[in-house]
Amino acid sequence: MGRDEPAEGIDVTIRICGAAGDGSLAAGGFMNAAAARMGYHIINIDLYPAEIRGFGKSVAHVRISDRPVHTPGTKADCLVALNDPHSITEFGTLAEGAVVLYDSRPPVYWDEDRAVAGFIEPGMVGYGVPLGELSARATRSTRSRNIVALGALSGIFRIDPGALKEGIEARFGRKSAELAAQNLQAFDLGRSWALENLEKTDAIDFHDRIPGQREGVRVVSGNEGAARACLEAGVRLYAGYPITPATKIMEILAKELPARGGVVVQTEDEISAIGHAVGSGFAGTRAVTATSGPGLALMTEFIGLAVMGEVPVVIIDGQRGGPSTGLPTKTEQSDLHIAAFGGAGDCPRPVLAPADVTECFTLTRTAFEVAEAFQTPVIVLLDLFLCNRTEDVNFSDVDPAPWGAWAEVRAERHEGEGSYRRFAVTETGISPRAVPGTPDLYHAVTGLEHNERGLPDYTPENHLRMTRKRYRKMETLLERWPEPELAGESGRAEVGIVSWGSGIGAAREALAFLQTRGVRAAGFFPRLVWPVCEEALRSFAERCERVIVAESNYTGQYAGLVEQALGARVERLTGVPAAPLDPAAIVAAAGGEA
Amino acid sequence: MSSRSREPQDAPLLNRGVASRLDRVVDSGLLDYRSEALPTWCPGCGYYGITHALAAALTERGIENRNLVVVSGIGCAGRYPFFFKGYGFHGVHGRALPIAGGVKIARPDLTVLVVGGDGDGLGIGGGHLPHAIRRNIDVTYILFDNGIYGLTKGQSSPTTPQGQRTGTHPYGNPDTPLDPVVLGLGYRASFLATGYAGEPDELAPIFARALAHRGFSFVPVVTPCVTFDAVNITWDRMREGWQPVPADHDPTDLTAALNLALDENRYYGVLYCEPDRPTFADAEADTAARAAGNAP
Repeated sequence: MGRDEPAEGIDVTIRICGAAGDGSLAAGGFMNAAAARMGYHIINIDLYPAEIRGFGKSVAHVRISDRPVHTPGTKADCLVALNDPHSITEFGTLAEGAVVLYDSRPPVYWDEDRAVAGFIEPGMVGYGVPLGELSARATRSTRSRNIVALGALSGIFRIDPGALKEGIEARFGRKSAELAAQNLQAFDLGRSWALENLEKTDAIDFHDRIPGQREGVRVVSGNEGAARACLEAGVRLYAGYPITPATKIMEILAKELPARGGVVVQTEDEISAIGHAVGSGFAGTRAVTATSGPGLALMTEFIGLAVMGEVPVVIIDGQRGGPSTGLPTKTEQSDLHIAAFGGAGDCPRPVLAPADVTECFTLTRTAFEVAEAFQTPVIVLLDLFLCNRTEDVNFSDVDPAPWGAWAEVRAERHEGEGSYRRFAVTETGISPRAVPGTPDLYHAVTGLEHNERGLPDYTPENHLRMTRKRYRKMETLLERWPEPELAGESGRAEVGIVSWGSGIGAAREALAFLQTRGVRAAGFFPRLVWPVCEEALRSFAERCERVIVAESNYTGQYAGLVEQALGARVERLTGVPAAPLDPAAIVAAAGGEA
Repeated sequence: MSSRSREPQDAPLLNRGVASRLDRVVDSGLLDYRSEALPTWCPGCGYYGITHALAAALTERGIENRNLVVVSGIGCAGRYPFFFKGYGFHGVHGRALPIAGGVKIARPDLTVLVVGGDGDGLGIGGGHLPHAIRRNIDVTYILFDNGIYGLTKGQSSPTTPQGQRTGTHPYGNPDTPLDPVVLGLGYRASFLATGYAGEPDELAPIFARALAHRGFSFVPVVTPCVTFDAVNITWDRMREGWQPVPADHDPTDLTAALNLALDENRYYGVLYCEPDRPTFADAEADTAARAAGNAP
């Protein structure tokens, strides 16, 4: 007791399942905030499964570990059932010997074939707690069953109650002291009931460790990380149109930007959103928009214009299941091709993809600098899993520029003969840029093919020269961009795993597992996903007997780019499970036994 | 380039009358807004007159070249930014207003002039007009309404009269035309003026007032396409039915403005003006103050 470290060997995944109004997501929030406060690493995602039967099923998925975690985990160790029929559909996600905590006197009567208790099989651990009754005793309603359940979990798993109660008190205290007191009582009733009435037969044990305070640790979502990057980048203008799962970025900025000299514009559509952002970028101020697949589709013409006009702008895409309206509340990594190639013509632009919440911050932050340094739109590919999941982050420990610092080349005064050459062909492809307000460096930006002075010029010689210039910028970026992350085996490997974006977390866990099984496995985890870092990729592939590209889309969009770069086939681990990439699937593909 | 500087050897080519008129043009400052690129419009195009009036208005307003941003979409009018000495943004079709909004919101110190045709602004870009008006972005939008797609050689536009034969409607345009003046008033632009290309000297003060207005100023201008429209807005027909806005018209009266717009006569001048409506920047300043005081 009393030590400032979390309990060792903890890696517990809890799913809290209910219908709308049961408070399952709130309970998940309390649980992961408390765990982070106690010094554990957490990853949390709220799920709204597709297989909805009835209305409004929602699940909070919380993974708590004493080591950093990168995925939600493969199977759940505990299910908290706040709604019986919904929770029954969750049994497939449970690990062997999982704990099921259910309401032994549910407020609604469920027939035997719809009651959770009837589905608990030998080998599982069932704990029936009169959640509704205890809730009514504390708050005169059944609405705090979720809080009673947290109390019971605290008793069963020996989770120090202080950290959980701190969060509960803070949340309800905002509404009224009475409400806070009632909910704390609900928690205590659940905890003492469990301690007095249940015989512990499971193995999950947090040993009641007193929280090891981690200074500055916050529970942060990917959207919050990206929004923070916008704030720290000194964004002047955010223009956007609400769309799942990117809306949160806009909402945060709407609250935070005005006091920092920035402006949020809610535009009439995504075309106007990127139009405003491009206008702001042209005017020499930092601008950003965030969207999802359908919005990105509308933006492609403007992306082409920004490439042609060499205007810096950052576009954050929270990918969801596609095509079209697709699966608005499901994660997928299937916008890579539209991000890299969407639009008319030969149209180069960098695409960055963060791997976790911290990188949603750092890589988005870097995107602003890259956009200015290379005078180009930069697309940051998040996905719903990254946008919505939360992790424990200590921003004071985070290197804000792990991908280096990038400076813009500006033109301030007129030099040389003749009029200003806004699009001067240079060795790097980058031309010194003047912005409105500068004396004498007058020019027009245009989507037409143009000469160095920006005037329309459709001659084949000029088109070739300027196309080369635009692609030259991508080569310069590749020359300057840090080496991609290489993981696992550094020498010859039996299997090489390539993944990107949120897939990197799963690949990393799979890699670690394979290594414990004695498989010599290596990982290639790029953050600059387009253009492809060909050289590094080639030397990686050369030392791997097999290369597997793992990603959450049907066709293997990154695998295709890898094959193009290597001039050779690779193995594809693809799929559209409407869920984050599963480390077990990667292990299986690599031939290891999960 | 030396094409416009008057080298001594050129002098004998000009008779004295032309030379003195040239002097007057140069001294007027109107050429200060001309870039080195020569306009690509057809001889006789109404756009020359509009350009002249705009230069006069910019001169009158004393807008510095370095603070002038001309934004356009696609079409004959879209080429405007190339011919102005200042900063230009020739965008994609129909999207001049979003770009202009971004420029002005990011850089309120700049004077933002938006130009575009009827197809650009009422067809492909028609969805942006009400929202730029709604935000009351402090830009001036001049709509060159020639009732035809000129750059692509004569297809129907949203203001082509019903029944007119065009490249895309060889048996006659089936659609009724939009009226940009009525639209602008219906959306309640905080400033709406109109005119036609035939009398640049009448247009110049209208443009100057539009530039002076704090807020979104919308100025549809009727202009002929001399190459692809021989029946609708010809130079002669363009001038028919116009008279100045009556001296007793109250431009703060929206109903009166709509009555003028719906009248069978056409009125050039300022139909509507709401000088005190808060601009987007005003609203943003309020937002920033509330945010700083932390009271949403």
